[in-house]
Amino acid sequence: MRDSFSSATPILLAALGGTFTYYANVFNIAMEGMMLIGAFFGVLGSYLFQSWAMGMLFAVISGAVVALIFSAFALSLKTDEFLTGIGINMLALGGTTYLLRNIFDVKGAFISPRIESLPTWDIPILNQIPILSQILNNHPFIVYVAILLALLLEVIIFHTKFGLRLRATGEDPETTRSLGINPNKMKFTSILLSGILSSMAGTYLSLGYVTLFSENMSNGRGWISLAIIILVKGRPLGILLMSLLFGFFESVTFTLQNFNIPPQITSMLPYVITLVVLFLYSSSKSKEEK
Amino acid sequence: MKSLNKILTGIIGIALSFLAAAVLIKLQGNSPIDAYRALFNYGLASWFSLSSTLNNATPLILTGMAAAIAFSSNVVNLGEPGQLIVGALTAALLGYYLPIPGILGIFVILIISGIVGGLYGGLAGVLKKYYKMDEFITTLMLNFIADYLTLYLATYPFLDEKSYVPATHMIKREFFLPTINGINISFFIAIFMVFVSFFVVTYLKKGYEWRMMGHNYDFSKIGGCKNEENLIWVMFYTGFLSGLAGALLILGGTQHRFIKGIGANYGWDGVMLAIVGGNGVVETSVFAIFFGFLKAGGIGMEFEVSIPSEFTMVLQAIIVLLVVATRSTISYYSDKIKASLKAKRVVKSSD
Repeated sequence: MRDSFSSATPILLAALGGTFTYYANVFNIAMEGMMLIGAFFGVLGSYLFQSWAMGMLFAVISGAVVALIFSAFALSLKTDEFLTGIGINMLALGGTTYLLRNIFDVKGAFISPRIESLPTWDIPILNQIPILSQILNNHPFIVYVAILLALLLEVIIFHTKFGLRLRATGEDPETTRSLGINPNKMKFTSILLSGILSSMAGTYLSLGYVTLFSENMSNGRGWISLAIIILVKGRPLGILLMSLLFGFFESVTFTLQNFNIPPQITSMLPYVITLVVLFLYSSSKSKEEK
Repeated sequence: MKSLNKILTGIIGIALSFLAAAVLIKLQGNSPIDAYRALFNYGLASWFSLSSTLNNATPLILTGMAAAIAFSSNVVNLGEPGQLIVGALTAALLGYYLPIPGILGIFVILIISGIVGGLYGGLAGVLKKYYKMDEFITTLMLNFIADYLTLYLATYPFLDEKSYVPATHMIKREFFLPTINGINISFFIAIFMVFVSFFVVTYLKKGYEWRMMGHNYDFSKIGGCKNEENLIWVMFYTGFLSGLAGALLILGGTQHRFIKGIGANYGWDGVMLAIVGGNGVVETSVFAIFFGFLKAGGIGMEFEVSIPSEFTMVLQAIIVLLVVATRSTISYYSDKIKASLKAKRVVKSSD
């Protein structure tokens, strides 16, 4: 149970970032790359200054920069969003591997005692409650931030002016323009927010439950996030639930390995689950239509 | 005219990317001129480097073509990496166990591996047709599943105990594809498939239906095409091409066995190539050879100027982004100029 929360967090954060772009009708498949870049720069910042806060800062800045690149191509140069995303993902995969070799002179993974991991939070009232405390207490603080953010997003998107404008931009950019809102600006904001949140998700990967960076460590989590967003049609609370479900299955993966089931088989689980969930969802929908 | 346009904007985009990459190389403290000289020397300058460029391009031609055919039929097949790796494993196992000798055996291995890749792709098509599951997500998830599944098979049931990393046994020597003057036969097989695909897409009724489906989904439906069935066929055919790419990596590559990481990024490169090539079968193949050149030359940059070979990946991504950005920017502004010229003419004639 405890592991479910840690496994869910990166997927949750990236998916929440993707919610913004989902409602702004930007096809953002760059989350995978943004995550990977965030993971790398988180480690780099933490290593250089021996401080997790600097790691976080580095990651957020790198996420923003990637979002800028994405916007420059997709919004200003009118490059296909799908292609821009794939390009960014390749750039992230090649770039981080390249930087890993160039800066730290290692291949594969980088570990150092100088890297400071994210601090954990001991929550006052929670630590008094026996079982809940074991499950919920003493996580890296991003876990709590992510959960709060999911609740907050539900409010922002459906009950604020910003949320309304965001959704309007996605539905009908021309009408929005006639109301005096610049749809490109709204789209840019959504990409920026998703870049920052995805890079935070990456930082959690590299500084949260482990303190290292390894090549391609995001390993498809960005894709799973995207799948979740499409599945729940962008509802933040739905994303929260689905992420926890995935987190649960990912933590089951670790448990199963203790029972002598080969790791390659258990690692397949999250992806199989995505297909199963999609299958159940689709077949229930087609029944409704009948 | 249209393909000329594609190639011309391609060249402008590539030139811009080399400039951008030169800045990056300079920032690293290396000389861009030396780096590009090494790239050229190892990618094109001699017969040896030319042949390694073509050998590198072989899987890319097939995966790129697969993605291009799928996209132009409005089918989002992002499953090339998975289909390739499934085909590769099939070829590796058949190459070790298949009792049929010689050339006939090679033929059988290639066909079966392609079919396995095709079935893996077709699975996503079936899920789409009968369960309305979005092929964008299914093909992606099937990639990861294929990755772990093949790794499992190579680590446990079919492991060659003598190897240090998870790998299958080496295939029989009689199945090794020979090279002609340094160019592996697999390159010619890939080029042959380019002709086959061009023929299928351009002259066959099925291919015409595929293109119509990509052009206008509803129109083709009204016109009597069975779109949903065609979707499965497109998935199967493109999966076949990817599976074949995997098989050629085993039979024609240097390892002759299935090793962890053998698929590398061929599948994703194929997707990018298709987009850069504007989903044309022939254009995509031309860009595939160019990417093969980058891969071969990237080794040169590592040897001579000590720029890590991963830099090639960065360079590829920059090229893809800039080529397409150049094309879309040029067409966006030329449309704008055309429109304003037309507007002026209309205003004039009404005066």
